[in-house]
Amino acid sequence: MAETQITRKDALLYGGAAAGGLIVGGAAIVAVAVAVDNKKPPVEGAPIVAPYVEGDLPTMDPGADAWKRAERTYVALAPQKIAQPFLDKAGVTSLDARALHNGSEVALLIEWDDDAVDDLDGIRRYHDAVAVQLPAKSGAPPALTMGAPGVPVHILQWRATWQRDIDSGGKTGVDQIYPAVVHDVMPDDVLPPDTAQLYWVGREAGNPLSLVTRSTPVEEVVAEGFGSVTHLSRQTVVGHGNNEDGRWHVVIGVPSKRTVGEPLAPGTSWPVAFAVWLGSEENRGGRKHIANWQTLVLESK
Amino acid sequence: MAKVPNWQLGRDMEYPYAADRPKKQFTMIMDTNKCIACQSCTIACKSTWTWGKGQEFMLWNNIETKPYGFYPTGWDVNILELLGEQEWDGDVYAGETIFEAAPEGERVLGWAPAEEDWSHPNIGEDEPTGNAADTTYIPDNPHSMMWMYYLQRICNHCTYPACVAACPREAIYKRPEDGIVLVDQARCRGYQECLTACPYKKTMFNLETRVSEKCIGCYPKLEQGLQTQCTTSCIGRLRLTNYLSAPDEIDPRKPADFLVHIRKIALPIYPQLGLEPNVYYIPPVHVPTKYLTQMFGPGVEKAVEMYRNAKDDPELLGLLMLFGATERIMHTWDVTGGVAHAYDEEGKEIVAVPLREPTFVRPFEFATEVAGEPMTGFRHNT
Repeated sequence: MAETQITRKDALLYGGAAAGGLIVGGAAIVAVAVAVDNKKPPVEGAPIVAPYVEGDLPTMDPGADAWKRAERTYVALAPQKIAQPFLDKAGVTSLDARALHNGSEVALLIEWDDDAVDDLDGIRRYHDAVAVQLPAKSGAPPALTMGAPGVPVHILQWRATWQRDIDSGGKTGVDQIYPAVVHDVMPDDVLPPDTAQLYWVGREAGNPLSLVTRSTPVEEVVAEGFGSVTHLSRQTVVGHGNNEDGRWHVVIGVPSKRTVGEPLAPGTSWPVAFAVWLGSEENRGGRKHIANWQTLVLESK
Repeated sequence: MAKVPNWQLGRDMEYPYAADRPKKQFTMIMDTNKCIACQSCTIACKSTWTWGKGQEFMLWNNIETKPYGFYPTGWDVNILELLGEQEWDGDVYAGETIFEAAPEGERVLGWAPAEEDWSHPNIGEDEPTGNAADTTYIPDNPHSMMWMYYLQRICNHCTYPACVAACPREAIYKRPEDGIVLVDQARCRGYQECLTACPYKKTMFNLETRVSEKCIGCYPKLEQGLQTQCTTSCIGRLRLTNYLSAPDEIDPRKPADFLVHIRKIALPIYPQLGLEPNVYYIPPVHVPTKYLTQMFGPGVEKAVEMYRNAKDDPELLGLLMLFGATERIMHTWDVTGGVAHAYDEEGKEIVAVPLREPTFVRPFEFATEVAGEPMTGFRHNT
């Protein structure tokens, strides 16, 4: 398919209407197939319908059977060219999204092609990642500019590096980036931990990005426009990602009563947008692939 | 883009933010002629600020040999090539800056060093260049046409920093009190846009904390009225940590203003890039003017002439003698009775240095007597 382009003008004029996304307010959309054939190709432009399921959601398992109950939606991705710096060229053109909910939690499974696993951050070495954007309020989607002053959006970002932080117990630093590295005496070899910490200034300053010991690979932030991403003091979002057969499979689970904005209640629908980063293509920050607003429908119980 | 005045270019230029000069500007003056590349400054900086895990490759201060030394590799030749050939029209820059030449979708024209580019800080060390036929190996030509020199490099704490311009999160800022450029360690999200944008390549990525770091101008020392670690550790006494006034508030009694704006002996590095860098270099006197002009702009010939004549300029000579004479930051100085005096902010004297050290010439006979046997020359009493 031709590369999708989302221009600055499109984005500022309601992002939503553009990409064939439905603008669905609070109206409940009920009709949902319960058993879905997963071999069926994902449908472009269709709402991402989250069926109601009993019990725990598979927030740690992208391969769980429960996902077969949700239909895949094809979501087109385009290089971000709204705010500088732009992404020059697309490394991936689409993702597949599906969702489930159980009344108290919503889980999304996002999958995209990427046969290079980038899960360490180094010099000019960037990570794979995906983000889900939900407005604080339901209704018509805001501009596709990561919110605007007074119009906050709730963003849930999974990073491959954070997944490796968890999977490896925080072994994601110099020794892993350069396995043959030989260290001289380092502050943490000779100083008490509190004092040694001073030599990791990002950590000492409380930057959540500088931590390697973490409980979730997903960061929850609020934004009111490009460049305004702010880490939330209370982190409630969970998830898990793995790369199999040249494809990332990432689950993100968010409580219905979320930290930011109105609850993601059963029987409501929401604008939802996505972003994907390919580390091997030097994607980071604004150099990312973005999707226009889609519609997430949370089926009634 | 805003229009901002850049005195080094002699014109206004485009920059993403409006001009907002600090109350005073941290500056460093480097006398390239005195450097022996001992790297005392590099080690002083490294052992003070960057000996943590994740900072192994970081040298906020480095000394490199020009023209073949670089840290990171190719930092200056790469941006010069990207920018392409540009012209000066006298003292006015007629070319494009890296802000004006930014491609679509970018705020700054930049390039990102590869990780191995940071791995060879001593590349090209002591390698000279020039016409091989005119080397010192030809006995008749002891004053070689071959040349090289040492370049002392820290963050330039630019008036119009490219790192600030490129950071999409506004996580880099310039302190209003002294113009020092800092990365907010709590705000940075590690996108490394600053590493691509800074043409001097003086922001660096910490491999453990995953955020960018850079030279902090030893601000905890400055706040106590002290010069930086690289300055006070310099055995060649070639550095001066000082403050530069805004171009419309030049005060000839202030050391940096005198050197940069009055005598014009200290020049900015690659001013044509448009950042108004605030480290100023007294150019090496033995290097071809063409090369120096590319690096330090159109004032090179006059600066070299000024330096060669410094012996006849007591005010200038006195100030150069005060380099490295005190850890304190000098606010004013004067020369009386053959002695240069430095003063602090309150006008109290902090150090005095004679323009000429007293000397004692030993008679030839003395040297021979010590040995107790016939001598054919002087012998050092070491």
